[in-house]
Amino acid sequence: MTTLFQQIANGIVLGAVIGLIALGYTMVYGIIQLINFAHGEVFMVGAYGGLATYTYILPEQFRDDWQIALPAVLVGGIVISVITAVIMERFAYRPLRGGPRLAPLITALGVSVALQEAVRLFYPGATATLAFPPLFVDGDLRIPVPGGGGDVVITWIKLLLVIVAVLLAVGLQMYVSRSRMGRAMRATAQDADTAKLMGVNPDRVIVLTFILGAALAGVGGVMYGAYQNTINIDMGFQNGIFAFTAAVLGGIGSLRGAVIGAFCIGLIKTLGGQYLPGGNQYDYVWIFVVLILVLVFRPEGLFGEPEKVRA
Amino acid sequence: MSRVTSWMRPVHALAFRVVGAVLVLIGTLMAWATFVYNNGAYPAKATLQYFDAPFALNSFRLHLAILGIAALAVALAPVPGRNRILRGLGWGVIAIAAVHMAFMTYEGGGLGAIAGGTAFGSWSTLVGGILIVLAAHGGGLEGPVHLPTKMPFYVAWLVLLVSFAGLLMLVSRTLTAGGQGGVANPYSGPLFLSFVGYAGGLLAALHGAGLLPWISRLSEGHRAFSIVVLLGCALALPFTDAGTEYWMTVAANIGVYAATAIGLNVVVGLTGLLDLGYVAFLGIGAFVAANLSGAAAARFDIELPFIVAALIAAVVAGIFGAIVGSPTLRVRGDYLAIVTLAFGEIFVRSAQNDIGGLTNGSNAIPGLPPISLFGKGFNESITIGGAKLPSGVLYYFLIVLLVAVVMAVFANLKNSRIGRAWVAIREDEDVARAMGIRTGQAKILAFMVGATLAGLAGAVFAHKLSTVSYESFKFLESVTLLAAVILGGMASIPGAVLGASLLFVLPEKLREFSEYRLLMFGLALVLIMRFRPQGLVPDKHRRAELVGEDPEGKPLDESDVGQAHLPDVGPTTGPTTREAT
Repeated sequence: MTTLFQQIANGIVLGAVIGLIALGYTMVYGIIQLINFAHGEVFMVGAYGGLATYTYILPEQFRDDWQIALPAVLVGGIVISVITAVIMERFAYRPLRGGPRLAPLITALGVSVALQEAVRLFYPGATATLAFPPLFVDGDLRIPVPGGGGDVVITWIKLLLVIVAVLLAVGLQMYVSRSRMGRAMRATAQDADTAKLMGVNPDRVIVLTFILGAALAGVGGVMYGAYQNTINIDMGFQNGIFAFTAAVLGGIGSLRGAVIGAFCIGLIKTLGGQYLPGGNQYDYVWIFVVLILVLVFRPEGLFGEPEKVRA
Repeated sequence: MSRVTSWMRPVHALAFRVVGAVLVLIGTLMAWATFVYNNGAYPAKATLQYFDAPFALNSFRLHLAILGIAALAVALAPVPGRNRILRGLGWGVIAIAAVHMAFMTYEGGGLGAIAGGTAFGSWSTLVGGILIVLAAHGGGLEGPVHLPTKMPFYVAWLVLLVSFAGLLMLVSRTLTAGGQGGVANPYSGPLFLSFVGYAGGLLAALHGAGLLPWISRLSEGHRAFSIVVLLGCALALPFTDAGTEYWMTVAANIGVYAATAIGLNVVVGLTGLLDLGYVAFLGIGAFVAANLSGAAAARFDIELPFIVAALIAAVVAGIFGAIVGSPTLRVRGDYLAIVTLAFGEIFVRSAQNDIGGLTNGSNAIPGLPPISLFGKGFNESITIGGAKLPSGVLYYFLIVLLVAVVMAVFANLKNSRIGRAWVAIREDEDVARAMGIRTGQAKILAFMVGATLAGLAGAVFAHKLSTVSYESFKFLESVTLLAAVILGGMASIPGAVLGASLLFVLPEKLREFSEYRLLMFGLALVLIMRFRPQGLVPDKHRRAELVGEDPEGKPLDESDVGQAHLPDVGPTTGPTTREAT
């Protein structure tokens, strides 16, 4: 029984990380119908940016003081993620906009590989897995489970991660539905040409979308590093695929769907790894199976609109 | 016809190109560096001709002299397509000068390579190259030169024979240029790149003169003859300088990837379906062959003859191709790409975890016996007519055969009913359907054919490497293959071969930069999509769409030049770019 609850807790934590990435995927897709394959790498770059801030910028005496270290590292991660995403949008995707559909996807693949390799080659020591500072109070929350078998253990950083992720998602939803720029984003997503006629600058909207997505991914990257205690260059590809699956499962283009999809994927991974045949060596495979099944049988996802047939 | 736009007065252009060519020739004879490389005393350890060596024209100095003299001759004589030729020559000169300057700077000489003296060879050459290119553009680039192809067949055959022999020489020289890369040979990188610059410059000049398109049209007119001669040339490679064990291995590896890239081209280039998990089929073929080879770690304790095992591998891979292709019935565009990626990842994960005991997990299946025919192991060396050929040459012959078979399949399919259906699907799936093409069947067939070819290549790959590990079939390998196809030009056979060669020769030559291999591939994908989406050697019909020449190579009217466009199969995008603009 404890195992089940523990795995559910783990699944929710993983879901929170995936959700932070999936929001970026779904926003970009909603607006320019681009699968930004390199978005997972933005998450990875954010983690390395956070680590660089901690190692090279943060003065020694503040390192153990989480009230200073955690915000500083988060800001570092976000800044690096956002810069990466803006450069990527400006130089890789914008020139191809309005062109054929597969070109940006191939470009995105190229960007993804290049970013991964750039970090591996130029970040000191990144050829191997790097240690990441804990950044938050040690210790954990223990919830007793009736029937014996021990407690469910959740470290505080994981709890913080889940809370931050949910707050950010709610905040993003409010921003998109209430603010002026949010309205411009929704207008562009619905009909870019008409939005342009109404005075919306599509370039600004698209850059803003990339910035918002990258900021969330940066937060995700730092928090992921903090609770895993290690980071490596593969983390972006793996979690990026999970996040893409989550975004598709929830209905790509839908913010709420992305978050719910992310929690579903988190649970599928941990519970599938625990209870399905093959154990946790095959948990990855189950996610891909879900991805294929959703794309084939319900490509509009749980919350998306049925895809319009092309005119 | 395309207009000639010149912004230089004819006399200025003449002065620029003559001065440029002379500067190149002067630079060729001057010293390039004043210090010693390779931490040894000059001249014993300094193997590059960077020093003051008048009249000792070899290596890159010889290449520069040839380019310079050619430029001078073209600059003075009125040749058709003069400025196009000069542009090619000029870029070749710039490439050679830039490579050596970069190397000298990197090795510590600093720009201009001045250490207790002055050496202006590289500067003079670089400026000369730039002047030539400026003169070419300023003088106004002419439209492509069109040479007539009407001639008696024996003249055409002779021309083709000579050109293919030249091609063989070029391939052999390129392969061996700079020698084997590695710690012992720090010059292999710059020498190779400089040779590529030279060859590229010459080819561009020939192209400018209209000779390359002319030869390609001639070979179209004499298909059967060209194919026989090309095959002969490929088989003759071991008899050239490249006939050592090392280069044969490199060539054989290139061959395997070229065959796989052509298979991928069926799916991506012809049908326009992006397949991101294609290398899995190579893997399936390899693992099937490994399990039927009688290796100790194989699941089945049987040893089948290679031919049978290869056929089984191809069939199994084809079946999996149909399975992976089946979602195409419901999924389109980039969603389909993601589905194929998911299948690819499932394959890697399953292979890593030794699914069903078939892959031996992370231990791999080692010790596959070499293929043998008539009691002769393919890893042994052979003697043909007094010439002793190195070991590995039989594998090279086998792989040439494989590439030829794959090419034949591809070319025949492309010109068949199903091939035209694929191209129609690539261009517009809904219209293709309306025209009565069974799009579902056609797409699954494309996946099956592509997978079968990869399975066949995988079987050869397995025996050649003698070890099969899941590591060889990861996602990045799929990306590399895709990069090869896109770099070379989608749906184009020479493009796929050229792309595969570049992507596998470059890391071999630039060992000190081999770390940067994947970084380069990633950036290359981005840059190609941005600047040359049709690839290096575009398919002629796609070329007609993208560059503004009709399939015969004659230029079209400029207003007809469409914007570059790729297969457009997205579910929500509208009409093609041309109509949208």
